[in-house]
Amino acid sequence: MTTILSTKGLHKHFGGVLAVNDVDVEFQSNCLRSIIGPNGAGKTTFINVITGKLSASSGAVLFGEQDITNRPGHRLVRLGICRTFQITSIFMGLTVFENVRIATQSRLGGSLRIFSAKESLKAVNRKTWKILDRLGMETKADVPSNNLAHGDQRLLEVAMALAGNPKILFLDEPTAGMSPAETEHIAKLIKGLTDTIAVVLVEHDMDVVMSISDEITVLNQGSVIAEGPPREIQNNDLVKEAYLGHA
Amino acid sequence: MGIERRNTHPIRIVALLILVACLALFPFVVTNRFYISLVNEMLIYGLLAMSLDVLLGYTGLLSFMHNAYLGIGAYVVGLFLIHVSPSSLWLAILTGMVVTSLISLPVGWVQVRTGGLAFALLTLAFGMMFYTIVWKWYDLTGGDDGLMGVPHPDIHLAGIVLGNSGNPTAMYLLTLCLVLICFFLTWRIIRSPFGAVLEAIRENEERASFVGINVRRYKLYGWMYACMLGSVSGALFILYRGYIGPTTMSAFAGAGVLMMVLVGGMGSLWGPIVGAGIFIFIQDYISTMTEHWELFV
Repeated sequence: MTTILSTKGLHKHFGGVLAVNDVDVEFQSNCLRSIIGPNGAGKTTFINVITGKLSASSGAVLFGEQDITNRPGHRLVRLGICRTFQITSIFMGLTVFENVRIATQSRLGGSLRIFSAKESLKAVNRKTWKILDRLGMETKADVPSNNLAHGDQRLLEVAMALAGNPKILFLDEPTAGMSPAETEHIAKLIKGLTDTIAVVLVEHDMDVVMSISDEITVLNQGSVIAEGPPREIQNNDLVKEAYLGHA
Repeated sequence: MGIERRNTHPIRIVALLILVACLALFPFVVTNRFYISLVNEMLIYGLLAMSLDVLLGYTGLLSFMHNAYLGIGAYVVGLFLIHVSPSSLWLAILTGMVVTSLISLPVGWVQVRTGGLAFALLTLAFGMMFYTIVWKWYDLTGGDDGLMGVPHPDIHLAGIVLGNSGNPTAMYLLTLCLVLICFFLTWRIIRSPFGAVLEAIRENEERASFVGINVRRYKLYGWMYACMLGSVSGALFILYRGYIGPTTMSAFAGAGVLMMVLVGGMGSLWGPIVGAGIFIFIQDYISTMTEHWELFV
């Protein structure tokens, strides 16, 4: 396994609040690493800093050997660093197909063509159908995405992230608000992604985390307090204390 | 915002052709100069309202003073005709488009760094700035007297001289022609991959940027295109009136253009043109009865 992305002494503070405190994490290819921690541990902030949504206060984010700290999000997508959001973020007024199509288009190019019809980008259409097929959403292609059920909207966001040809994919609570059946479906799907790419999962559903993760990083108050495979984390005293308080 | 029909039904094309034919034959059927000028003005403001809708309805950016770019286009074309060449109609229009685009570039560069309400307020700030410049720069623009004595160049369309721009019928046909060209171009553009990017930005800027779209850059392109279209309406405006004063660039007039888009419905191209028609009609018709004509809009 090679390291795709790593952070070195990453800090992020909001005024006096230290949300990410000196975090060194390495993300390996074909590995599903979950980031867990109690509420307010800085998980989402950590991801936001890596993916360019927030700027780092200090420290570095390395993509391979390349320093990508504080690069804007749209440029990171071109390197293959894609993400979903904790609160569903899709193009609500557009159809499912168009949502994925625009994501594919911005990755494959052609956005500056102004006189050809958008349907004429054949490679973009092919890839869009492929992604929809893979996620089992091809029958919903023509549905306006604001008419989708919540679970399908979460899935659509994953589809859009996949359209960016990610090398590493950050999923911020993909199962939030999903039914058990939907959760199982998406958990399987996420696990399947690690055949080709690295996946980073921020998740509160411990059943999901413990069953599909290869590695787990535990954050508490902005710092890494434990790291290792699921079995190890389950028996870690520091982790128990962070979640449950002193015994 | 609604989902749009992608397929163009044959009936819609036939209806459009009939409408265009009616508009083209209009000045030959209704020979009253007043009505020809009225419809001419509707088309000019229709083009401006349509260009604002490229921003508002397709890119999701609110501009309070899009009339500023009609004004800039009009002043540039007017000054070109007065000082450079009184007979080069097409060169004047082209100059108006180029200069307006160049002016809108730095303005847009600043504006696209914001979004939502901040963007809208910046359009107001820059609009007022241009309004003040036109008002104060007496030597160039004529200040509050307006730009007067703009020559009327001959209008050549497809090799035929229709008459000079002071002739209502010739001017009407030029307006109709340019509005149709702009309409068709814009229609193509919003259905292109580029138009899809603008729609994505309208729907969700954050998501657009995290699928790899350089949001600021595309907002800037959309802004410049809308300003350039606005300058075409400005060119037609000065040719048709032969005069422009700073009130055309006032915030009040800007609110009127916004009203045209809202009345006609944003997110379609023909809607704002219809809205402009209704607005101009009410303005002209009801203002003969009461000075409070705005109440009826």
